[in-house]
Amino acid sequence: MTGTLLEVERLSKTFQVRRGFLGGATGTVHALSNVSFSVGVGETFGLVGESGCGKSTAGRSILRLVEPDAGRVRFKGEDVLTARAAQLRRLRREMQIVFQDPYSSLNPRRTIGQTLAEPMAVHGLGGAGEIAETVRAVLAEVGMPSDAAAKYPHEFSGGQRQRIGIARALVLQPELIVADEPVSALDVSIQAQILVLLRGLQEHRKLSFIFISHDLGVVRHFCRRVAVMYLGRIVETGPVPAIFDEPLHPYTQALRSASPVPDPKARVAMAKLEGEVASALAPPAGCHFHPRCPHAMEICKRVYPAWTHVGKDRGVACHLFPAPAAASALTP
Amino acid sequence: MSERSTEPVLVVENLTTEFRIGGTWYPAVRRVGFTLGRNETLALVGESGCGKSITALSIIGLVPKANGRVAAGRVLLAGRDLLSLDEREMEKIRGNRISMIFQEPMTSLNPVLPVGFQVAEALRYHTDLSPKAARARALALLEHVKIPSAARRFNDYPHQFSGGMRQRVMIAVALACGPEVLLADEPTTALDVTIQAQVLALLAELKASDGMAMIFITHNLGVVASIADRVAVMYAGDIVELAPVDELFAHPTHPYTEALLRSIPRVDRDAFDLKPIPGQVPPITAMPAGCRYADRCPLRIERCSVEVPPLAPVPGLRGHQARCWVRAGAGAGAEAA
Repeated sequence: MTGTLLEVERLSKTFQVRRGFLGGATGTVHALSNVSFSVGVGETFGLVGESGCGKSTAGRSILRLVEPDAGRVRFKGEDVLTARAAQLRRLRREMQIVFQDPYSSLNPRRTIGQTLAEPMAVHGLGGAGEIAETVRAVLAEVGMPSDAAAKYPHEFSGGQRQRIGIARALVLQPELIVADEPVSALDVSIQAQILVLLRGLQEHRKLSFIFISHDLGVVRHFCRRVAVMYLGRIVETGPVPAIFDEPLHPYTQALRSASPVPDPKARVAMAKLEGEVASALAPPAGCHFHPRCPHAMEICKRVYPAWTHVGKDRGVACHLFPAPAAASALTP
Repeated sequence: MSERSTEPVLVVENLTTEFRIGGTWYPAVRRVGFTLGRNETLALVGESGCGKSITALSIIGLVPKANGRVAAGRVLLAGRDLLSLDEREMEKIRGNRISMIFQEPMTSLNPVLPVGFQVAEALRYHTDLSPKAARARALALLEHVKIPSAARRFNDYPHQFSGGMRQRVMIAVALACGPEVLLADEPTTALDVTIQAQVLALLAELKASDGMAMIFITHNLGVVASIADRVAVMYAGDIVELAPVDELFAHPTHPYTEALLRSIPRVDRDAFDLKPIPGQVPPITAMPAGCRYADRCPLRIERCSVEVPPLAPVPGLRGHQARCWVRAGAGAGAEAA
């Protein structure tokens, strides 16, 4: 790796929600607890997990689209969370986001050209001529016809809209893109087109990605390293082929074996995992996964497992892998 | 097994369903035909708009009447053509001998009625069980679909259940009258994978224990491989390939099936060979004259753009049919390697 682009340390976020009859009571959702990871220059880093595990909140907290409660985010050494308005605007030029739903993330009343030009105008990047030139170049780069700039979002298919969403992220020439389920709303054949496009962009522009997805197949295809999340915490990280071929955490194992593979000889070991994800309003004591874990031990019900480094590039939070006493102080 | 048990439960012949767009009727499902054996799961797989859901809605008589119609074909349930029945007769069949479950259980369940009531309601409508007997049977059904502490949750409302549990409730409603055929339209698509695995296991178990046949509609070939006995691949309103599940994955024959399998990023394999399908599905209002996949097909010959290929046997493969001039039917096998 040629250096670290982004460092995330002990990021935490809670949301207050109203519950009960007519919203009389309040509860606290622990969306993120002590989430730490880093992304190298040009690296594709995956965040995987099921609904409500905090992967999207993590992505948004890094850009401060959601203000985290605690933790630290450093982008090329600069502290993102303490940045003031002007500094934050400059940082956001370099960190862009692509959303899942290309239908709701584009303004239906603006032409594609207007949508793509706006961020450049906001950041004062060149005059009208230069901006138009960039719009044309970026549209070509994402495989859109040149007359797309004059059209409106409804004139495009889902796959094309996602290309436009990607183009919008690219016009500011960012170094990091947070891609939040960018292919989940698309049909398989279109999904593959977008993945190939993203891969090409990543290689040509040396882009770094935080790639958020629930689909292990997509993550295996796109990412070099991955963190698996469960109920607001990272439970395992590691390099991509290894983590799916030899998952360590029982949750990663369950996720892997429940992911369907297009091969009848590998019918998923169905229903290995009992129960459902607990509510983030009241995560179970100890390891949050213990009520569903086939290996749960006494200690799992009481103590959240410390982070353990396994080998040089993997880590896991599970009592099956006890940490050497000295190394257990910090999560990854 | 007796002769009778090998007879199909459901036969779909030449089914064509059309939708009206700007005053003209366009086929969304075109001359679709297949048989469904007792205790068999047939997967209908394809991308958005391929006609897989419309096929199911046509079978159960729920094509929206405002702008849709079944234009031709027969749907034979134990020899009786459902398409010839009027709505009153169809109501006796729907939810009774053929049931359907949908992708989003929250929109199929009534939010202001307790779940136990909704299961019992299906029984009260189709049987002459007393209210008390229907409630007892409903509770047994909720236990059958493995709702934890079903007795305690009998009077809970749908919003008090998780997505996976709601889908179990829907399954209980659908199975209440012991249908011969269950139509399952993307029943696990809205669920997380670990919950999806549980629901798929439940459906497979129920199919075996209740002996029903199932048409399982999905866009996910991984799910197909997990649950199907036979598979029909649909593209732009046509069945383009029909084969036993092992056959289909071992010898994908239609160029679309083959391309689809190559475009799936797989969790069990490194990704170097991901190949997207160029272009997109033609719009329903502008379908090409010949094979509907011709424009995207690398094997296209002149004939493909002119004449619609029939669903024909694939040479050398048992029970395997494909709609392709190049690879199926009498003229197949001439393709250069």
